[in-house]
Amino acid sequence: MRSIMRLNMSTLSITTEPVPDAWARYGGRALTDAIVFAEVPPMADPLGPEAKIVFAPGLLGGTSAPNGGRLSVGAKSPLTRGIKESNAGGQAAHALAKIGIAALVVEGVAADADARYVLKINADGSTEIVRDDSLAGLGNYATKDAVDATMGDVKRYATITIGPAGEMGLKSAAVAISDPDGYPNRFAGRGGLGAVMGSKGLKAVVIVDEGLPYLAHADKDAFNAAVKKFANALREHAVTGQALPTYGTNVLANIINEAGGYPTRNFSEGRFEGVDHISGETMREVTVERGGNVKHGCHTGCVIQCSRYFVDKDGHYKTKGVEYENVWSLGADCGIDDLDVIAELDRTCSDLGIDTIEAGVTIAVYMDSGKLAFGDGAGALALLEEVRKGTDTGRMIGNGAEATGLALGVEHIPVVKHQGLPAYDPRPIQGIGVTYATSTQGADHTAGYSITANVLAVGGSVDPLKPEGQAALSQGLQIATGMLDSLGFCIFVAFAVLDIPAAFEAIHEMAEAHTGQKWDADALMQLGRETLTMERLYNESAGFTAADDRLPKFFYDVALAPHDAVFTVTDAELDSVHDFVAETATAMGISKP
Amino acid sequence: MQIELALFAHLTSYLPPAGADDGPGSSHARPMDLPDGTTVGQVIARLDLPVGPRIVFVNGRHAPDSHSLANGDRLAIFPPVAGG
Repeated sequence: MRSIMRLNMSTLSITTEPVPDAWARYGGRALTDAIVFAEVPPMADPLGPEAKIVFAPGLLGGTSAPNGGRLSVGAKSPLTRGIKESNAGGQAAHALAKIGIAALVVEGVAADADARYVLKINADGSTEIVRDDSLAGLGNYATKDAVDATMGDVKRYATITIGPAGEMGLKSAAVAISDPDGYPNRFAGRGGLGAVMGSKGLKAVVIVDEGLPYLAHADKDAFNAAVKKFANALREHAVTGQALPTYGTNVLANIINEAGGYPTRNFSEGRFEGVDHISGETMREVTVERGGNVKHGCHTGCVIQCSRYFVDKDGHYKTKGVEYENVWSLGADCGIDDLDVIAELDRTCSDLGIDTIEAGVTIAVYMDSGKLAFGDGAGALALLEEVRKGTDTGRMIGNGAEATGLALGVEHIPVVKHQGLPAYDPRPIQGIGVTYATSTQGADHTAGYSITANVLAVGGSVDPLKPEGQAALSQGLQIATGMLDSLGFCIFVAFAVLDIPAAFEAIHEMAEAHTGQKWDADALMQLGRETLTMERLYNESAGFTAADDRLPKFFYDVALAPHDAVFTVTDAELDSVHDFVAETATAMGISKP
Repeated sequence: MQIELALFAHLTSYLPPAGADDGPGSSHARPMDLPDGTTVGQVIARLDLPVGPRIVFVNGRHAPDSHSLANGDRLAIFPPVAGG
């Protein structure tokens, strides 16, 4: 039976309860949303005692569902001040699910603000909460080492940790999840959830799954058949079977640059002259030459294998990936074209525990103020070290692009709902602009990845330079993403699912065979709609209006080379993206919290 | 006429060898001399690219195989790729 484990940091008590029937079909994002929706007042201080942070594996977590081991981390975001689900790979989701935990909810705040606590959940479900103030100020890597030193003979466990940025309550602070090799390098990066964890005095969670098998299924044979069908589709599709495992996510750099949508030097140009130095093809060459690993899963059960380790010139591990988003944010957006510099910046962000997207966008905004030249990698690294020191400048940087841009009077601040834009300019790729504008999450490409049909010819084709069809495209993808995030799937399965009907069928077949509940195509999309509906209603109560569903003005006014594009999707079309919310809320029997 | 041809990811190995006077440039792009009016499809046939879906840009915009190229165009061809 799935349970909800609650850790109250005010009382240092732990309780466990069954998942209520109303949430029996919810996992991952749907479940973190349902808990935040029901239990965190929308006007609560995101770092105060009313706030909660929720860690939830998907509904298929703890099973062999291919790419089904993603973790949802949910809270009210200190960055967007709306509801947030930040999604990560790593080993924690499977570990929690195998123990039977559908959600770990951390509530309250520690009485002593200087205290640092570690929660240990053992394979039998027993728990220990240990105070260890020596962890204060440690980076994620040192924190992981310190935790490892306490584990004795236990070899198989996952960790969830924060770095100093989370302890300082900075709005770009991330949550680190350990990967299959134990590196704390997979992140619930967006929205400052590391600060929520830090505000509670919780520095680390250790989840031991040694000796635990995958979960049992309602119908084992049907589940295994659906798994096989799904894995075959992922292996068969050219993106998930070939491009991603060979080149990693950074295979995108050249094609987004070719399309003129690769934001360069704080979104002032759409192509970066240095792209060839930092592309996925070049990164693979460099990594192979140095003896790095160029193909592995970020979590057990991944069949796509797009993760890799970047190594330094001596062949030593530096960081994971580097992922497309981070090569862009810390590279092209800052005018930096040196992979080793980018990897050092990525490693530093990971260790500090700040979101790499927000960090890069923030440094680019800082550079745009004239205080640092675009392309100055050493200067960028020094700025990040200010974050570690907790200086005024460091705290400004750690609070993100908007905080930095406002403090320095920068004209072009690329944020929506206070969150920095990812690696696609919304002017020549308008479908992603719809997602940035309308997502409940703030500017977030993963919320509805319109790049598929706009640029990549996956799941159909919609002209990226025109407004027509973009709202419908984004809406469909946002709903589908809500569903995938709730089941615990990596959203990269969507590349195959959008093109291969059998892959989509396999998803509801796995859900039905595992849970014994009735699942079909309609039920999957309803799950996505319910997820977005809870988020949307929550945000309305947190004070968001239609005015928050817009891009910054310069995307409408300032034409971007090479296509001289501006964003032309109308306000009415943007407002149509959530046209299903009222009806879904009625069907769910919920109203604004 | 002369165009610039660029191939990426798994297709990079289908690039013609770099000429001695091509000068430094992208590891993915080469100048290519073609008869006037050559179409994208004809270039693909000439390069003997593997059968399968591909994504074609002419001057940064998607183009079908029937598209006629003009002097100075940049033709970029990708296999299916994605990420994020």
